[in-house]
Amino acid sequence: MSSEFEISRSITIGQYVPTGSFIHRLDPRIKLLVFVILVVAIAFNTSYFGNAIGLVLSLYLFWASKIPISYGLSGVKPAIPFIVILAVLQLLFQGQLFSDGRVYVDYGFVLITSESIRLVVVSAVRFIEIIFLSSVLTLSTSTTELTHSIQSLLSPLKKIKFPVHEISLITTIAIRFVPTFAIEMEKMMKAQASRGADFGTGGWWRIVQRTKEMFPIIIPLFNIALSRAEDLILAMESRCYTPGGERSSYSVYKAIAKDYLVLLVGLFFSLLLLFYPFPF
Amino acid sequence: MEPIIRLENVSFSYKINEKTKVSVLKNISFSIFPGEYVAIIGHNGSGKSTLSKHLNGILTPDSGDVWVHGHNTKDVNKKRSIRQAVGTVFQHPDNQIVATIVEEDVAFGLENIGVPREEMKKRVDEALNVVKMSPFRHRPPHHLSGGQKQRVAIAGVLAMKPDCIVFDEATSMLDSFGRKEVLQVMRKMNNMGMTIITVTHHMSEAAEADRIIVIEGGQIVMDGPPREIFKHKLELENLQLEVPSVSQMAEVIHSQFNTFSKDIIQENEFIEEVEKFHKEEVGT
Repeated sequence: MSSEFEISRSITIGQYVPTGSFIHRLDPRIKLLVFVILVVAIAFNTSYFGNAIGLVLSLYLFWASKIPISYGLSGVKPAIPFIVILAVLQLLFQGQLFSDGRVYVDYGFVLITSESIRLVVVSAVRFIEIIFLSSVLTLSTSTTELTHSIQSLLSPLKKIKFPVHEISLITTIAIRFVPTFAIEMEKMMKAQASRGADFGTGGWWRIVQRTKEMFPIIIPLFNIALSRAEDLILAMESRCYTPGGERSSYSVYKAIAKDYLVLLVGLFFSLLLLFYPFPF
Repeated sequence: MEPIIRLENVSFSYKINEKTKVSVLKNISFSIFPGEYVAIIGHNGSGKSTLSKHLNGILTPDSGDVWVHGHNTKDVNKKRSIRQAVGTVFQHPDNQIVATIVEEDVAFGLENIGVPREEMKKRVDEALNVVKMSPFRHRPPHHLSGGQKQRVAIAGVLAMKPDCIVFDEATSMLDSFGRKEVLQVMRKMNNMGMTIITVTHHMSEAAEADRIIVIEGGQIVMDGPPREIFKHKLELENLQLEVPSVSQMAEVIHSQFNTFSKDIIQENEFIEEVEKFHKEEVGT
């Protein structure tokens, strides 16, 4: 029974697994950059062979970062229904758009060709690769490092008056308060349940009822969030925070040779996946 | 000596709507001098929290002036140097931590005032050392206890090298253990020369201070050293305040045994007195 209210334990945002591996010690900016270009490359690659390379690469990254592959699989699990639905839809309805190759089934609107099967398989594998890659990224990089690297990667945008620092501060504060609100919510659920409220007893298909059950939690949670925000503003102002003001930065990252090497390797794989004409 | 903070006839009222105003502070004047350890006490709604928000210009008076190092808090251009001079530690430990890692939160204020990185590192180290939180520097704040979070908040203020730190009921959300931790840090900082102003309704905390200001209905009703203030037991009770429990106990014992001093406001004094008393009794 206890698990029902233990929300703060099952939060996966920023589930950092400190193994101290080579991947962990990379410059987070480089890590993020390589991640982005790899994801783009994988998203555009439509060959079996290319995606096999991507899959092997993402599995290798798990091994290299000494993170058990079960973490990656637990990320894939909730996505399985989407992958399956997507695959079925693509199999049934996308055939007309990918009518090249050998035709296997041609019945009414359903047209299944070797090309449409390729689309189905490749998009499913692609999905898994991207989940694996992002798992490696978030499991090997702390949220602080991530927000800092987003800030520093976006910093050229300051020139066009894009509020880079503000956005990174907002993200940091949001992440900082996730566990706080989870604990708050837990407390409220326990308080409401002890006064006879029902949570999660209806089946999962009764979406309306399950949503209604959450109202007595969500409304006070908003209330608490606002009053906390007010306090936080006071505290920040007392510590000389001026929006848009000139600031210095506490954490500075310095990319060294091995970081650039990783960047090169990442670039190589991305270009390979993007432009190499794979035979199948 | 030049005071750090000087209040001159400060009055303040909150606007409820167009017509009604609630007057919270009425014509308050006092000065805080360097190195002082001042407790501001009063029951709920006496205006003590509003008063503390005037000390670094979060609120500005309707009439009268607050001067910090000779700068008026109404002067918008001086806001930054005023807030740098007077730091505040707030009541709720969770609502004043901004960053996801302890040391980065301590650095937040320093980043705001543009301290160079090398200097920042040094100051963060020092501040964490003073509050004894160095071993926790890489932890996320939600894994800390209330007292530890409050010590992190103190370090964040301390790193900015203020002349004075205001504790706005900073211990009221803590358990007795956490409170002790924070009080020790306050005492330590005061011994290092820091001016401390603590707003509280815990009398045992007020007894730690060198000077107590009692607020009632937005006015100062008493101002003096704790030993003087706590002699006025009846007046304090009329203001819905109590003397520290050790003083109450000492008085009860004094009424039975004349030799037991009733002039006691701190725990350790009480213990000493009991030991002395015990020795005398056993001796005779």
